[in-house]
Amino acid sequence: MSSSQLEELEKEITDNVQRCWKCRMCVAMCPTYEGWFTQSTAGRLMAINLYIKHGLGSEEELSNMLYACTTCRRCQERCRMLSTDCRPADTILKARQYLVKKAELREAKGP
Amino acid sequence: MSRSVKDVIPVGHIYIRDNVLDKDTLTGVSESKALWAKDLNLAKKAEYTFFAACGYQHMKYVEAMMGALRSARKMGMGMGKVVGVSKLFSKLGLDITTITAKITASKDDPYTPVLISAISLLRKLGVDVGYLHEEEPCCGSPIYYAGFEDDYAEHATKNYEIFKSFGVKRLIGLVPACTAALKNVYPRYIKGYDLEVQHLLELVGKKLKETGIRPKLKEKVTVTYHDPCQLSRYLELTHEPREIIRSIEGMEFVEPDPEQCGKWSTCCGGGGLEATHPELSERIAVRRAEELLETGASVILSNCPACDLQLTRVTKKLGASVKVIDLVRLLDEALE
Repeated sequence: MSSSQLEELEKEITDNVQRCWKCRMCVAMCPTYEGWFTQSTAGRLMAINLYIKHGLGSEEELSNMLYACTTCRRCQERCRMLSTDCRPADTILKARQYLVKKAELREAKGP
Repeated sequence: MSRSVKDVIPVGHIYIRDNVLDKDTLTGVSESKALWAKDLNLAKKAEYTFFAACGYQHMKYVEAMMGALRSARKMGMGMGKVVGVSKLFSKLGLDITTITAKITASKDDPYTPVLISAISLLRKLGVDVGYLHEEEPCCGSPIYYAGFEDDYAEHATKNYEIFKSFGVKRLIGLVPACTAALKNVYPRYIKGYDLEVQHLLELVGKKLKETGIRPKLKEKVTVTYHDPCQLSRYLELTHEPREIIRSIEGMEFVEPDPEQCGKWSTCCGGGGLEATHPELSERIAVRRAEELLETGASVILSNCPACDLQLTRVTKKLGASVKVIDLVRLLDEALE
């Protein structure tokens, strides 16, 4: 794992989020949504995008949001039906891999 | 100070990863893998190889461990502390996880018999089925969904070599997540992957049609079906289970709202969420159970160990007079 691979992953994630129409149908689809935007698919995608592109938020906050997803893919089914190529559930999984890889890279470098 | 993996990733997922990589099981409870199959005389080599996976066998321990975790949370101990305590004991040579899980596990275990029913079902339909017994690896899908991609790729490659060394060609999966991983995720990480993987329901559906056997229940029941997400959206099997349920005589099949079943079925709150967000997971399960209870069915059928566990627990908690049964078990009964 190198930092160039990490950048590739960053690009893949932000590209996927870029394809989102912001129709917000995934919000209603998400089983974890209970009123807060950050508890939904679209909220998670927005948080990932803001973190990667602008460094907003912390890894801990991002991890809390991403690992509250059940990976049930209900959002992705709706997204696919609306013919957007955003693949939200896969993107959330990619973002989890991104967090792990980033932490592993830091561990390998040492303090 | 630089933050390591354990500062960023929830401790529940790290615990599961360590179990899968070190002990080759989901829960870390040390127990023989082939205990359920000891009276079944299953050969290692056969036309189809059955993939039993950890799910059904370990669900009674997961149930016990979740109970322990919930009481620990009531005392103000998070998952991190609980895992810390169990690690401390293992340094002293005591496997506290196995001990607690085995003592507190319910004697009335509805999950392991599903595996026995699956084998009996396949035999009744004339399928030549084998099983790798102790050599069967854990598919490792929980670590994939937790984001440990490199660990997973390594684990998958190792597993593929195990399958190849036993001359496995066709696999029959039962746990949806493991079957989806073996079918769709493994090929992405292994070059030249050529195992033919199918879910039990695909094969059973095909055989039922071929042989013309009609399953029949002794008494009339009203049932509804909960689609596990890994089955309906990852494996895209929504038609087969419905066709099988409709083919059973003496059964009335009712479904919830079309927006809540089939490929739109709502999540049961499983999928690792029980370990990281227990309260949220329970609320999701209650919402799903209420949707299913509205149909007025007296039996909820499902086909996944995690969904079985979640729905059994909340329907009991809601005080509903409904039974949660695995589809495979019911089908085996109907084929007597």
